[in-house]
Amino acid sequence: MRSDYFISLLIFFPVLVIQTTIVPLISLSGVVPDLILIVLVYYSIRNGQIYGAVAGFVFGLFFDLITGSLLGSAMLSKTFVGFIAGYFSNENKREIYLHSYPFILIVLLCSIIDSIVYAFFSDTDFNRNVLLLFFEQGMLPGLFTAVVSLLVMIFAPKRRFG
Amino acid sequence: MIRFILVVWRNFKEYIILVLLLITSLITLSLNQKPEIKKVRAIAFGTFASVTSVVSNLINPAKLQSENDRLLKVNAELMLQVNRLRNYGIQNAELKGLVGLKDTSDYPLIPATIVSKSLNKAQSTVTINAGSSAGVKPGMPVINDQGLVGIIYSTSEDFAIARTLKNIDLKITVKDERSRVDGVMKWNGEDLVIIDVPKTYDIETGDRIITSEISSIVPVPLPVGFVTGLSKVETGIFNEVKIKPFVDFVKVENVFVLGIVQSKQKNDLELNFFNTEK
Repeated sequence: MRSDYFISLLIFFPVLVIQTTIVPLISLSGVVPDLILIVLVYYSIRNGQIYGAVAGFVFGLFFDLITGSLLGSAMLSKTFVGFIAGYFSNENKREIYLHSYPFILIVLLCSIIDSIVYAFFSDTDFNRNVLLLFFEQGMLPGLFTAVVSLLVMIFAPKRRFG
Repeated sequence: MIRFILVVWRNFKEYIILVLLLITSLITLSLNQKPEIKKVRAIAFGTFASVTSVVSNLINPAKLQSENDRLLKVNAELMLQVNRLRNYGIQNAELKGLVGLKDTSDYPLIPATIVSKSLNKAQSTVTINAGSSAGVKPGMPVINDQGLVGIIYSTSEDFAIARTLKNIDLKITVKDERSRVDGVMKWNGEDLVIIDVPKTYDIETGDRIITSEISSIVPVPLPVGFVTGLSKVETGIFNEVKIKPFVDFVKVENVFVLGIVQSKQKNDLELNFFNTEK
């Protein structure tokens, strides 16, 4: 588990490079999948809630610093999401969660929560239709991220889990 | 007591850690304007941008051909426009000479390429490969051939982060080019809107929106977008004017930083105006 802290951090930076350079090229009406969230969910399921919260905190900190968004907003949302994803870190079901369709559902759930918490703390105008806000800022990025997470589900190494 | 703490820690450590991390994040939210944080941010994104610029260069050549074709067309159109404007310029110089006005139309343009983008619904930003060493400063407008892209937010030596118009923290004074009506434009998370526009104001769908000269951030007229509609028309005395920006923030790659910063003199004058103690 301890090595996973370093491995996930090592993976984080190349993923952030891809997120900020290549991912914008596949955006649909400005909506992009969140690769960092997929990595976070993956490692949180592997290692539990404490790991998820700490990893989310660190990922969010670097994301805020590097992208110039409001420092603390991604820290908060990613910490929360890491904790929630860690809830699914059940020793008996870990393999099932990581390598079958529940992984996509967990990513969808986490992505929706992440988008809503992030939008709330980055001061989005809540005078607008809340349902529309939920759909545009929660569901759309969530669905896109969940679809991309299908690749992780398929290609993630299986034999490394004990 | 220690035993009690240990028992609590053992049973609730996940929640204790979560709460501590969330509190730390909330405290960090209030530290955004601290100079120390800005310095750390400049170091962090400066280092990271040097990596993304390499990746960005690898991706860009594939697009250069189409970008070149488009620029050739734009160049031809601009050449025609320049010829027309040159005639106007000659006439203008004569007229200005008659009324004793100075020409203030020369602004330095600093070329830059976008090396990374952070696209999200609330806080879209771009990182460009021109920083303080090229003369880029926070507050300078970022433009391309279509119009205003955003405003420089933070700089390192070789890179800078700009908030695009699709960033809720960016508010700019704009005006309707036709009716000369001023208003404050912001991104509400879904649309670019001019807020609190009295219903009596003359703004119509299709009108071009440009930056207003009364803006202390962008004091030169730059194209922003066009009006696509009015909302909140049923209630209250104010409209919200929806704007479609000229710039496609997803596709934009090459930009210029306009080498002007908000006027401190003008700001000081405005502040003095409201300073009742003097």
